[in-house]
Amino acid sequence: MSDQMSSQDLKERIALIEDMIAEARRSTESWGWVFVLWGVAYYVAILGGGIIRNPMVWPLTMISACVLTGVLVAMRKGHSHRNTTIGRAIGSVWIAAGISMFIVFLSLGTSGRIDQHIMVAVLGAMLGSANAASAMILKWKLQFVCAVVWWACAVFACFGKTTPITIVFLTAIFLCQILFGLYAMMMDVRRRRHRGVAHA
Amino acid sequence: MPELPELNPVIHGKLRLAVLSLLLGIEQAEFTWLREKTGSTDGNLGAQLLKLEEAGYVAVEKKFVMRKPQSVYRITESGRQALADYVQALKQLLGSAITA
Repeated sequence: MSDQMSSQDLKERIALIEDMIAEARRSTESWGWVFVLWGVAYYVAILGGGIIRNPMVWPLTMISACVLTGVLVAMRKGHSHRNTTIGRAIGSVWIAAGISMFIVFLSLGTSGRIDQHIMVAVLGAMLGSANAASAMILKWKLQFVCAVVWWACAVFACFGKTTPITIVFLTAIFLCQILFGLYAMMMDVRRRRHRGVAHA
Repeated sequence: MPELPELNPVIHGKLRLAVLSLLLGIEQAEFTWLREKTGSTDGNLGAQLLKLEEAGYVAVEKKFVMRKPQSVYRITESGRQALADYVQALKQLLGSAITA
């Protein structure tokens, strides 16, 4: 068999192996919709909290977003069964960050020690950590930029005044949740269109 | 002159090579996902997967999810080793092709 193989054939085989391994890894990246969903949830909570002025708006919106994310993830898993180590690592980072935020904000809210400075600082730091960890696993520079934006938002929340903090927070949500999520979804659609074909 | 390595004929088929490479970067994958990623037909993919299964390179778990049959494939340890050996042989052949 070796005698019949040209150098071009051999290179094609190597390229096919590399493409398929990369394709399997890329399958973990189709999570843009989660960023968009949570970005919208933050906006709903902020606007709802401002209009209704009820302390229950935030926890109710966050719990609803949690349930909705869980249902949609379960539906997608039922639709396509695949499991990667990278996917599980990224999932673990976000689940751990989510649990941490839930516990901290529930405790701060119950104790009455929460204000806008603390909320944005903690949220920014946690989202910065999760985005940075995910970016390092995926080697995705754009997501690391999002992490830097969240960290900057957290630092600003420690020093800034209430109104500028709100503006910075809303901007960070728009850039790092909605815009980034839409970009990730767009990239996923584009990748599906250009998927490779291998025949026997 | 050192003897050139032989390429494993079970792995050498393009579709079988694609499937093994996909499974290498993933823990387990459903038949439909493999079909989507390789762009092959049900019949062709099924036949190639059977060859890989008979060689002991992939393991299959068949189950029912919401009353629908589902086949989940994963690469075995010998499949991993065989693919690593195949890549090594490819590199050796490429090296000899360049020096020739």
